[in-house]
Amino acid sequence: MLKTRISFFREQRNPIILLLITLALPFIIGIFEGSSPLMVWANQGSISKFIEGLGIEIFILALYALSFDLIFGVTGLLSFGHAMFFAVGAYLTGIALKTLGLPLYAVIGLVFVAAIVQAVLFGLVLPRVKGITFALVTLGMASVFHIVVMSSDVANYTGGDVGLQGVVVPAFINPAIERLRFYFIALIILFLAYWLYKVFVSSPTGRVCVAIRENEDRAKMLGYNTFKFKLAALMLASITAAFAGTLHALYQPVISPTIADLGFTVTALLIVLIGGVGTLSGAVIGALVYRLLDFVLRRYIGASASLVTGAIYVAFVLFIPYGIMGTWQLKKWAWKEGIQRLLRLFQVKPEEGEPKPQQSK
Amino acid sequence: MMDNEVIIETIDLSRHFGALVAVDSVNIKVHRNTLHAIIGPNGAGKTTLFNLLSGNLSPTNGKVIFKGKDITNKPVYKFIHHGIGRSFQITNIFPNLTVFENIRLASQAMEKGNFKFWMNASRLPRCEQRTWEVIERVGLKERAHLIASTLPHGDQRKLELGMILAPDPEVLLLDEPTAGMAAEQVPELIQLIKEIQQAGNKTVMLVEHNMNVVMSISNVITVMHLGKVLAEGTPSAIAANKEVQTAYLGGLYELDV
Ligand SMILES: Nc1ncnc2c1ncn2[C@@H]1O[C@H](COP(=O)(O)OP(=O)(O)OP(=O)(O)O)[C@@H](O)[C@H]1O
Ligand SMILES: [Mg+2]
Repeated sequence: MLKTRISFFREQRNPIILLLITLALPFIIGIFEGSSPLMVWANQGSISKFIEGLGIEIFILALYALSFDLIFGVTGLLSFGHAMFFAVGAYLTGIALKTLGLPLYAVIGLVFVAAIVQAVLFGLVLPRVKGITFALVTLGMASVFHIVVMSSDVANYTGGDVGLQGVVVPAFINPAIERLRFYFIALIILFLAYWLYKVFVSSPTGRVCVAIRENEDRAKMLGYNTFKFKLAALMLASITAAFAGTLHALYQPVISPTIADLGFTVTALLIVLIGGVGTLSGAVIGALVYRLLDFVLRRYIGASASLVTGAIYVAFVLFIPYGIMGTWQLKKWAWKEGIQRLLRLFQVKPEEGEPKPQQSK
Repeated sequence: MMDNEVIIETIDLSRHFGALVAVDSVNIKVHRNTLHAIIGPNGAGKTTLFNLLSGNLSPTNGKVIFKGKDITNKPVYKFIHHGIGRSFQITNIFPNLTVFENIRLASQAMEKGNFKFWMNASRLPRCEQRTWEVIERVGLKERAHLIASTLPHGDQRKLELGMILAPDPEVLLLDEPTAGMAAEQVPELIQLIKEIQQAGNKTVMLVEHNMNVVMSISNVITVMHLGKVLAEGTPSAIAANKEVQTAYLGGLYELDV
C-alpha cells in the first residue's frame, strides 16, 4: 500500500513539480514587476493578475482538452460534438446563477446531473454507430444544441447569438476581485482531474478503453461488453468538460455561443494533436501551447494570425505527428518523414524512379 | 470417447452471404473432452462455422446449442463467459500493446472488478498471475514486454493462442493455429494444444490443413465441402472414406500410421 503510494509520487514527479511551479508563478511574476507576495496575495499586482487570467484560461482549456483526449485519444471515439459537453456546463451554470438564482453548490449538482444525462444521450447512439458515423451523429446532436442556444426563442435565457451576460458570480470566487483564489481553484481542479485520469487509464476500466481503441472487435470477443466501457469514458469526459464549462461561465464576463460550435470541438482536437494523442499530459501541454500561440500571434501579427496559426498546426502534424508529449515519450523525431509528407502534400514525388522507399533500409 | 456428453450441437445451421451459402444446414455434435477437427478445402466454410459457434456471426438459419442451452444470437462478448473461446486464422491481437498487456486483457475479462476505475489494473491479484502462467506456457516469457506488432509471425500465432488460453474456456475453437508458422515450430505448438486439451479436460475444435497433424491428434474429424458436412468419423475412418478421398484428399493423403 505504502509502496504503491510512493511509486505513484515518483511516477507523477513531473506533474507535481509543474503544479508547485504554477502555484508559485503569480508570486514569481510579482517579484519581477515589483509587487511583493503580499500584494499579489491581495490581488494588487497588475501583471501577475494578467498572468493569472491567462493561466485560468489555459487551465480551463486543458481540462476541456483532457476530457476530449480521454474519449478520442484513449478510447478511440471520434466525437465531433465535444463542444456541447463544455457548453452545456457553461450555459447551465450561467442560467442557473442568473435566471434561477441558485446557490453555487446547487449549480454544481445540476451540472453534474446534466453531464451524466448528456453522456447517456451520446451513449445511446454508441451501439449503433461506429467510427466516422459516430463523429457525424455527435456533430448532429451538438449542432442542434448550438442552434437552440442561438435561437431567439430562448434568448431570454441564453442571450442568443450575443451571448449570455450579466451572470452574478458569488463574491468569494469572483475572478474580478478574487483572481488569485480563482487561479488556485482552477489549477487544483485541473491537477485533480489529471490525476484522476491517470488513475483511470491504468485501472481495469481504462485498460479496456485502450483495448477498444486498438481493436474493438477483439475486445468484445475477449468478453468485454465494450458499450459499457465507452459509456464510462463518455461519462467521465462529459463531467470533466461540463465542469470546465462551469469554470468558463464563472470566469468569462460573456458566455459566447461559439463555445457550442464545431470550431470549439476542433480546438480540442488541435490541442490534443499538438500535445500528443492519448497521452493526457499532452492535453495540458497542448492547451498551454495553443493559448500562448494564439495570444502571441494575435498580439504581434494581428489580422493574419489565423493563417499563421493554421500553418503552424500543419507543420506540427507533419513534423511532430505524435505531438509534443508523444514524441517526448517515444524519443522519436520525425524530420525526414515530415519533409516527405510535406513534399507529397505539394504533389512532389520523393525519390523518383527509386524502388519503394519502405524496402530500402 | 463418443459416449461423452455432447457439449456443442448445431441444428441445421446455415449462413448465407448474399447468394453464397457459406455454411449449409450443418448438423454436428461435439463431445466433451474430445479434440474435434474440422477439415475441408479452402472456402469450405470452416471459418464461417467457427464464426457462428463463437457468436461473431449470427446464422441465417438454425441453432447453436451449448450444454443444452440455445445460445444462438447471444451477443459475442457473452460467449467466453459461457465457456467458449476462439482464436483466429488471421492474427487478431492488439497490435500496439505489449504481449503482456494482450494476455492480461484476455484474462482480465474473466475477473470481477472491471469497473474499479480507481484501482490500478496490476492489483487484480489472479489476473497478473494467470497472465504470467499463460505467457510462460506459450513460450513468450522473454518477449513479454515487446509491442505485439513487432513480434515475428510465429510468435504472434503463439500470442493469439495465449489470448484464448488466458480466460481458460471449456471449449476452444482454434482456427488454423499454425497458419503461416515455420514448419519447425508447428509440432511444438500442436503438442501444446494436445497437452492443454488432455490435462485440462477441455474440448478443442481445430481447423487445420496439415493432414499429418490432423490425423495424429484428433479424436473425431468432420469434413466440410461447399458449406456442407461431407463426412464425419475417426481419423482412420475418414482416411478410408472414398467420398472424402475423391472430393477433398484427392487420393493425395496416404495414412501412414
Ligand atoms: N464476410 C463474408 N462476406 C462474404 N463472403 C464471405 C464472408 N466470409 C466468408 N465468405 C465466403 O464464404 C465461403 C466460406 O469461407 P470460409 O472463410 O468460411 O472458408 P474456410 O473453410 O475457412 O476457408 P480457408 O481454408 O481458406 O480458411 C468463401 O467462399 C468465402 O469467400
Ligand atoms: Mg478459414
